[in-house]
Amino acid sequence: MRMEQTGKIKNDFIVCSNVTEEFPITGGGSFKVAEDLEFTVRENEFLVLFGPGQCGKTSILNMIAGFDLPKKGTIVVDGRKVEAPGPERGMVFQTTCLFPWLTVMGNVEYGPKVRGVKKGERRKRAQHYIDLVGLQGFEKSFPVKLSGGMKQRVGIARAYCNEPVVMMMDEPFGHLDAQTRYLMQEDLTKIWQKEKRTIIFVTNNIEEALYLADRILVLTNCPTKVKAEYQIELPRPRDYTDPKFLKLRKEISEIVDHTL
Amino acid sequence: MRTKTPAQERRDKIVYGVLAVGIFVGFWYAVTKLTDFGQIFPDPITIIANIGDKFINPIGKATLTGHILVSLRRVMLAFTVAAASGIVIGVTMGWYPVVEAVFKPVIEFLRPIPPIAWIPISILWYGFTEMSKYFLIFLASFFVVAISVYSGVKSVDPMLIRAAKMLGAKDNQLFTSIIIPSTVPYIFSGLQVALGNSWASIVAAEMVQSNEGVGWIIITGQQSSNMIQIVTGIVCIAVVGMLLVMIMRGLENKLCAWNKQGR
Amino acid sequence: MKKKRKNLWIVSTITIVAILVLWWLVTDKLGIFTSNTLPSPIKIVRTFIKKLSDPNPDGATLFKHLLSSLKIVLSGYLLGVVIGVPLGIIMAWYEKADLMVRPVFDMIRTVPGIAWVPVMVVFFGIGFTSKAVVIFIGAVVANVINAYSGIKQTKQVHLWVGGTFGASNWQLLTRIALPSAFPMIINGLRISLGGAWTTIVAAELLASNKGIGYMIQQARGILRPDIIIVGMVVIGAVGTLLMLPIELAEKKFMKGGKW
Repeated sequence: MRMEQTGKIKNDFIVCSNVTEEFPITGGGSFKVAEDLEFTVRENEFLVLFGPGQCGKTSILNMIAGFDLPKKGTIVVDGRKVEAPGPERGMVFQTTCLFPWLTVMGNVEYGPKVRGVKKGERRKRAQHYIDLVGLQGFEKSFPVKLSGGMKQRVGIARAYCNEPVVMMMDEPFGHLDAQTRYLMQEDLTKIWQKEKRTIIFVTNNIEEALYLADRILVLTNCPTKVKAEYQIELPRPRDYTDPKFLKLRKEISEIVDHTL
Repeated sequence: MRTKTPAQERRDKIVYGVLAVGIFVGFWYAVTKLTDFGQIFPDPITIIANIGDKFINPIGKATLTGHILVSLRRVMLAFTVAAASGIVIGVTMGWYPVVEAVFKPVIEFLRPIPPIAWIPISILWYGFTEMSKYFLIFLASFFVVAISVYSGVKSVDPMLIRAAKMLGAKDNQLFTSIIIPSTVPYIFSGLQVALGNSWASIVAAEMVQSNEGVGWIIITGQQSSNMIQIVTGIVCIAVVGMLLVMIMRGLENKLCAWNKQGR
Repeated sequence: MKKKRKNLWIVSTITIVAILVLWWLVTDKLGIFTSNTLPSPIKIVRTFIKKLSDPNPDGATLFKHLLSSLKIVLSGYLLGVVIGVPLGIIMAWYEKADLMVRPVFDMIRTVPGIAWVPVMVVFFGIGFTSKAVVIFIGAVVANVINAYSGIKQTKQVHLWVGGTFGASNWQLLTRIALPSAFPMIINGLRISLGGAWTTIVAAELLASNKGIGYMIQQARGILRPDIIIVGMVVIGAVGTLLMLPIELAEKKFMKGGKW
């Protein structure tokens, strides 16, 4: 099911139509997170959802992942409607969520293991992804002993190892210090270039969005809608100080809603 | 404040430990030899001699080893059954709301009654048989384990379940690969408390009614005002209790290594 | 979601009612268990009411027994708290004290409270003192352990902050370590009270001529399981009620919520 084999890039790989989501609030009434939200994602595209804090970006990811279902509207991934979480839609969480009782290897090979892949094959696959994220030598370590950056790498390897058709990342570098954050952005770009995947990445950091994205969707405050769309055609690896980069940075910063 | 290396800390602990025990024993010896206290309380040397002797010569039906083994046997048999059933009930209670609704009120009602309060009814029902002891130890362990495990299952991090679902785990796989490992620390803490309770309960049960075991040693000592025997019994109880604690802690370190946070 | 909750409540109530009915059937109606082994629930309620005022067959009413037990428990317990909590704090704060006292303490703590009863009986005979001392020992041990843990887990960062404000060692202890140890100390008060209550019952089974433990022990001798069960229920209920003042104190002093 690898994309490379088909050779044809699907433009409407992921389609969100008329998505409306709301949550009940104490005291009655409901809080609309999204209303008639629409967008599509191209296969193997690195899409960034950028917007002010608390504007529903995580909810969108949760709906594509299948953890929540929209009140109205549909989400279709690779021709199939999303109704429940599944291995073809991988996710890297903000707080990592590694299984603390498993080693790095145990965590990374978890997906293939529960899906019945035989030990030899899945070990090989897991090792490949552990190497890809730069954690060779740490296979037998427990998460409690790893730093924040290392834990996120394991999270990325774990999601990748399941060979999903789309990977979602929910502000994965949000809790890291600035230095580590820059390193992780670089590494993620390298990893993605080595093994192309559709990625939907959520962030509220404009530099991060511009560094990573093929395309940026600027979202509004709740109820969230797509406010603007930017195709980023700068060559990679990108330069934070490049004048074109800075021009886009200024433009997008001005257009985005401010947090309440 | 100067910080010490681990090696220095260990050395200090041992040196001061020996010193402290030495002072304590020395004080004990001096008090028994120099004051009237020695009339009612034996000196440490007599105690140690007696302990040594009783490993060879029996008190009542058996030597010290025999009595210790009897008490241990009673505890371990009942404790194992209680632990197994406690874990099973606790897990099903945590996972299935209906099971919880059925069992929780019963457990909440029976739990406040201390195991020791069950001794008279246990003897009434089971007479002077081993069953009365097993029944008691079972009660002492079961509730603690069940509630502990139940709390553990209820406190599983829902994000971990989400991650597992995302990776493709099915319901029964969620159970075996996420719920159970998550709950292991809770199971352990429940088992430790239950084992401590059980050891205390068997001593109590043997003191009330038995003809062998470590509790019996103490109570017969009291009946014949034989302080040496009483203290011998206490020492045995303390030592075995300590060993049980050490074993449980060792097991916990092995199985829950992933839980230990580095300072 | 709410409907599910309501349904579960119904399941719980049905279970309890079913057990009571089954119990009654098995004893009164079908007579599978004689009243010498398992009395019916109705008999138990009757005995409870009777025992509130009837000193037979063991020499005192339910209240008198309870009072006697409570007197001993509270004396031993309060003394144990007064000595145990400061001792635990000192052991945790001053390293020399820790190194000297810990080894002896660790030896004592593995001995279950009731094991001390014979020793105390030989010293003080059957009566108030011997049992109170046994309760005292148990209460000291539990409170030392909890106060010790509470102080030991004081966050180093907080102490450093205090140090930068020029706090003396004493101030660090009283203004920083003690407040943060409060939850564990309260926990110790709670655990030791529960333990004390259990111990008094045990001690009275062995060496007493009044008290609630004595009451159930006597009842066994004369084959009155109804009294035993009444006693057991009262023991459980009183044990729970004893915890209430501590829970209230906890809520009042920790207005800020969990630390």
